[in-house]
Amino acid sequence: MTPDVGNYLLVSAAMFTIGLVGVIVRRSPLVVLLSLELMLNSANLVLVAFGRYHGGQDGQIFALVVMGVAAAEVVVGLGLIVAMERRRMLLDTDEIAELRG
Amino acid sequence: MTIQATAWVAYGLPLAGCVLIALLGNALPRRLAGIIASGAMLGAFAFSVVVFLRLRGRTADARSIHSTLWTWLSAGSFKVNMDILVDPLSAVMLLIVTGVGFLIHVYSVGYMHGDVEERRYFAYLNLFVFSMLILVLAGNFVLLLAGWGMVGLSSYLLIGFWHQKASAVAAAKKAFVMNAVGDVGLAIGIFMIFKQLGTVDYLTVFERHNELGFGSSTINGICLMLLVGGLAKSAQLPLHTWLPDAMEGPTPVSALIHAATMVTAGVYLIARMNPLYSYAPDVQHLIVVIGVAGLLMAGLTALTQTDIKRVIAFSTMSQIAYMFVGVGLGAYWTGIYHLTTHAFFKALLFMGAGVVIHALSGEQDIRKMGGLKRWLPRTYVCMWIGTLALAGFPLISSAASKDSILAAGLEVGGTWGTLAFVGGVAGALLTGIYASRLMYVVFHGPTADQAAHDAEHHTAHGEGPATMTLPVYILAALTLVAGFLQFPSLTTGMSTWLEPTTYGTVQMVEAGTSNEWIATAAGSIAGILGILIATVLWRAGRSAPVAFPRPLAILSERRFFWDELYHYALFVPTAWLANLLRGSLERYVFLAAPDAVGSLAGVASRRLSVLQTGIVRIYALAFAVGVAGLVLYFMVQAA
Amino acid sequence: MNTLVWALASAGALASALAVIVQRNPFISAIALLGNLASLATLYLLLQSDFVAAAQIMVYAGAIMVMFLFVIAYIGPRGEVQDERRRGWQIGAACAAAGAILVEVAWTVGRSGLTSAATVKDDFGSPKHVGELFLTRYVGAFEIVSLLLLVAAIAAVVLGAGARPNRVRMDERQAKVRAARQLAAQREPGA
Repeated sequence: MTPDVGNYLLVSAAMFTIGLVGVIVRRSPLVVLLSLELMLNSANLVLVAFGRYHGGQDGQIFALVVMGVAAAEVVVGLGLIVAMERRRMLLDTDEIAELRG
Repeated sequence: MTIQATAWVAYGLPLAGCVLIALLGNALPRRLAGIIASGAMLGAFAFSVVVFLRLRGRTADARSIHSTLWTWLSAGSFKVNMDILVDPLSAVMLLIVTGVGFLIHVYSVGYMHGDVEERRYFAYLNLFVFSMLILVLAGNFVLLLAGWGMVGLSSYLLIGFWHQKASAVAAAKKAFVMNAVGDVGLAIGIFMIFKQLGTVDYLTVFERHNELGFGSSTINGICLMLLVGGLAKSAQLPLHTWLPDAMEGPTPVSALIHAATMVTAGVYLIARMNPLYSYAPDVQHLIVVIGVAGLLMAGLTALTQTDIKRVIAFSTMSQIAYMFVGVGLGAYWTGIYHLTTHAFFKALLFMGAGVVIHALSGEQDIRKMGGLKRWLPRTYVCMWIGTLALAGFPLISSAASKDSILAAGLEVGGTWGTLAFVGGVAGALLTGIYASRLMYVVFHGPTADQAAHDAEHHTAHGEGPATMTLPVYILAALTLVAGFLQFPSLTTGMSTWLEPTTYGTVQMVEAGTSNEWIATAAGSIAGILGILIATVLWRAGRSAPVAFPRPLAILSERRFFWDELYHYALFVPTAWLANLLRGSLERYVFLAAPDAVGSLAGVASRRLSVLQTGIVRIYALAFAVGVAGLVLYFMVQAA
Repeated sequence: MNTLVWALASAGALASALAVIVQRNPFISAIALLGNLASLATLYLLLQSDFVAAAQIMVYAGAIMVMFLFVIAYIGPRGEVQDERRRGWQIGAACAAAGAILVEVAWTVGRSGLTSAATVKDDFGSPKHVGELFLTRYVGAFEIVSLLLLVAAIAAVVLGAGARPNRVRMDERQAKVRAARQLAAQREPGA
């Protein structure tokens, strides 16, 4: 027997919430980026699982596009981190708070 | 040109004159403004005459012409047209308004010469006439109300024309407020008509007036509300106090208000609404009572006034009261007949008074005049013609028209008819006294030094410019002949002409020949008696020692305390309430509220700005909570 | 068999995900994410999405994660700033919100009645089919993603090397932010 789509969805939801907690709780920009990857991947899992469930391959295409977007996001995110480091800034998301009202 | 087109041109010319003068503004030479305005009026009068003649050329039952230019308002099935109703009644009004109006315009050219704001004056004057034309030619109630309001506005502008005079501004405001009361009454009456019949069109309302029921509370209410409008505009009890104050305006304006426009509107309204009023006998009786009370009170007041124009103003009030008695008795044509003759002799009296005032450098107090017939002989003669007409001297206009009202009183009989007759005869006596008193005090006896000096100086080249004296002569001539429009046993021009304006709904009261002669005799005797009494009392002019009984003198001099009544009954409580509210509601609610709202917003935003931490993680947390809530919402929706 | 593999891969995915967020050392977090990605690739294989699984390993694990590790190596394995201001309520609220979402999703999935998947051919998810779709129906998305990657690459270059570091100004600004925050912290207990 094969695990049905619901099982995958549960795994995905759990991963998403773990990533969400990571984004909220962690203050290192590196770990925040890693947590974002977790959330993106959980979304990918849902896309692939539903694609399989409906017997179409469009979900996989979506997942691949998400990977491309994730790559772009990581490139920019890491570029920012490097820039912060070069300016001797603290690697702490709470320090970047100039939008404070 | 059809009759309709002719009437529309007569209607539009004063407006065109007003707009032209207003648009040209300073580009227009001052002298030219008066010529344009007078020219517009002459044109309007010419077209009015054409309308009248062509109307005469038709058979009696084909003399009502309704013409619509365009649809003015449209809301569902409710429609108000920009229309006119030309029939014998509005044709008479058209002739009076444009004819007498034209003479007053010409007179104004002389009277206002040298005033720095001649252009504004003539623009207002044309506007006034145009407003009155809207009023008298309207083919529906909404247009009537528009004309009613515009007449109020124009009178406000002209009474307060000399706006540097505080008293003029106050008088203008008083007239406007009093008239606003009347406007509200008229508007309510119109609302009631619309509620009952679903239309505001004159002819439809006249056709269906019996649906309201004879003497029912509905028709009584409607007529009462319309009457409130008429009382205010015609300066009748108890809404008359604006009229004497309105003398603050230039004298030609007084003539216009009293003779051609404005105060005649109330009489016209009741005569026009005769199908309604004939179905509301209770309101008719009320009109008779108001009229009799008004004519007696105004006559008594005029006895002791010292301002030349105010004496004439109170005479207007009493003559309009006669007209109210006439229309109240159901003899609608008598009211309009008296209105017509009154227009001539009242314009004549005002213009004569204007000549006097002009000759005395603006002096209006008759105690500072006297003996002026030496310098103003022609004016003296003309004024006497006007005075005799006012007093009801036999054969001169008012004798016929006023006595026709008395005759109607005899014809109707009963309580109200007798009241009208007796009150009217008593009023005629009073009229003879106060009208002649004015003449004796102003023109006879010794002259005050200052007046003699001024008169000497101003009359070196005649009694005034031709533009001023010619209209006076013309009006004097008209006054002499106007009484033969309808004369007992001789002509029935007025009643026959106005017969179709009932639209076949009612029978106008027409006195029998014997009653007519009795009334004529009574009215003439009362008038002559009054003149004789005045001759005995004031033969010596302003120096004559005349002592009235003290209470009567006080009542008369203080104008029966109407101003004081309004002051203490309305103004004082209102001012007290306003001050109270200013100290409490205004200060603690309306003034405090904006501050409170402002500081509330400030405090709230300061408190809320705490949420904007600038820390992205907190935003993410808020986002997560939002997502959780949103999903929950959809779950609840689905469940 | 499949169920067993699914259970193992899922457990691996969740455990490594947890490790990502609880580890102090970013280096170890990154390694844990690698494990997570591998577990996901296994799940993709179970879903007969061979090409995605391969891309997951090659693109994600091979390229993206390597970039992460480079940056971590560049910065040095510094631990997170010791956090005197971290508040318990933040963690509690985060867990509560996340838990609520999880419960809600689980409840919805349980009610949804998604059971049997469609039957598919053997070559479902093969590179041939995916590639065909990419170059026909989704060619627009494909091109846009490539453009996006190009722009991102340029942005990274600009961010990392383009602007000359302006230490003084940035330090000043940071100092200002800190001072403002201290001020706020002092004011708060009183208010």
